[in-house]
Amino acid sequence: MSALKNREKIAVEALYDMYSSSLFGVISRIITDTATAEDVLQETFVKIWHSFSSYSTEKGRLFTWMVNIARHLAIDKLRSKDFKNQNKNQELENNVTFIDEQRNTVYKPELLGIKDLVQTLKPEQKLILELVYFKGYTHVEAADELGIPLGTIKTRLRMAILQLRKHFN
Amino acid sequence: MEDIKAYIESGILELYVLGDVSPDEKLQVEEMASKHPAIKTELEDIERSMELYAAENAVEPTEHMRDRILNSLVVNLADDNNFPTKAKPVKDNVVTLTPPKQNNFYKYAFAACLALLIASVVVIISISNKLNDANTQLLALNSTNQHFANTVKFMDHQLDVYRDTTFKIIKLHGMPKHTSSTMMVAFSPVKKKVMIDMADLKLPANDKDHQYQLWALVGGKPVDLGVFDKISGDTSDMKEMKSLALAQAFAVTLEPRGGSVNPTMDQMMVIGTF
Repeated sequence: MSALKNREKIAVEALYDMYSSSLFGVISRIITDTATAEDVLQETFVKIWHSFSSYSTEKGRLFTWMVNIARHLAIDKLRSKDFKNQNKNQELENNVTFIDEQRNTVYKPELLGIKDLVQTLKPEQKLILELVYFKGYTHVEAADELGIPLGTIKTRLRMAILQLRKHFN
Repeated sequence: MEDIKAYIESGILELYVLGDVSPDEKLQVEEMASKHPAIKTELEDIERSMELYAAENAVEPTEHMRDRILNSLVVNLADDNNFPTKAKPVKDNVVTLTPPKQNNFYKYAFAACLALLIASVVVIISISNKLNDANTQLLALNSTNQHFANTVKFMDHQLDVYRDTTFKIIKLHGMPKHTSSTMMVAFSPVKKKVMIDMADLKLPANDKDHQYQLWALVGGKPVDLGVFDKISGDTSDMKEMKSLALAQAFAVTLEPRGGSVNPTMDQMMVIGTF
C-alpha cells in the first residue's frame, strides 16, 4: 500500500495482477465489446493511478473504490455518443458470437459455488443487482423502470447482497 | 441501538458501497461508520461480499493487456515522477538533472557546427571568387605575353632580312604622276626571295576594286610577283612575294583586284632598277 502511495512500478504490477480480472469482469458485464472494455480497463488503471492519493483506507476497501471508478468509466463510455453510434453499426448476430468467444470467464476453484449462488438469488434480487451494479441505474431510476417503490428497491438490493454475504460466509 | 439497526436495514449502506448516494448521504454514512463500529463492520461485510461477487464474475483480460496497461502506467509514472523526485535525495536528482545537460550540449554543438558550416561556405565562396579573378588575370597576361612573343619573333624575322647579306635593298621611286610614292623591295637572288617592306610603303591607299601588283623586269619582259594592298595604319609586316632568281628592275602598277597578266603601264606607280 505504501509502495502504491510512492508510485513504485512493482506496486502497479501487483495491483494489476490482483485486481485486473475482477475489474475486467465488471467492465465486461457493462460493455460487451471487448476492445472497448479493454480501453475502459486501461482508463480505469490510469485513473486509479492518478487519483490514488484521494483514496484512504478509512473510507473502505481498496477494491470498492477501484470498482466504482471502473463502473463509472464503463457506464460513461456506454452512455457516450461515440459508443452509441458505434454500437448501431454492429450487427446483432455477430455481436452475440463475438461476445461468446471473448467471454473467458474464470471460475476460481474455491468459488465453484457460483452456480448455486445464482440459484440462491431470487429473480427479482438478480434483476435489481443487475440494473444497479452493471447497468449503471441509480436506485431511483431502477424504481421508475420497474415501477416499484423506492423502499422496495432498497430492500431488495439489501436482500440480494445479504444473500451474497450468506453465501460467502 | 435501534436507530443503528434501522439505519443498517434502510439499505443506504448497500447504496453507499455501490456509489449510488448523494454527496450529503456519503458524508453521513462515513460519519456514522466512524461513530458506530457496528455500521463499520456492516459496511466492511457488504464491501467484502461485493468484492467476492466481482471475483466470481472475474474475466481474465488477454495477456497483451497487461503489458499495454503497465506500459501506459509506467509512462505516466515517469511523468508523475518529475515532480516528487525533486524532493527526493541524490539518486533521483541525478536522473532528472542529467538529460537537460546532455540536451544543452547537443544543442550548442549543433549550433556551433551550423555556424562553422555557414562560415566555411562564405570563405569557400570568397576564395573561389578570388581564384576566378586570378584565372582571368592569368589568361589576360598569357595572351599579352603571347602577343609580345609574336611581335618579338616577327621583329627578329624582319631583322634577319636586313642582316642577311644576300638581300639587296632596292628603293622604288615614284613615277612623275606620283612623285611622293616610294617603297622598299628586298631581293635575294641566292635564296630566290623577294620581300616588300609594308611599313615603309608610301603609296596612296587602294580602293576595294583595285590592288597593287609587283612586277619584275626579266630580260625586258614583266614577270608577275603577286598582289598586295596598301591599308592605312597597317602593321610593320615584311611581305614575301613570289620566288624569283633574276631581275633587272622592279615596278608596281595599280591593277584590278586579283592582278592582271600584263601590267597596265599608265598605272605604274613606282619603279627601281636592281
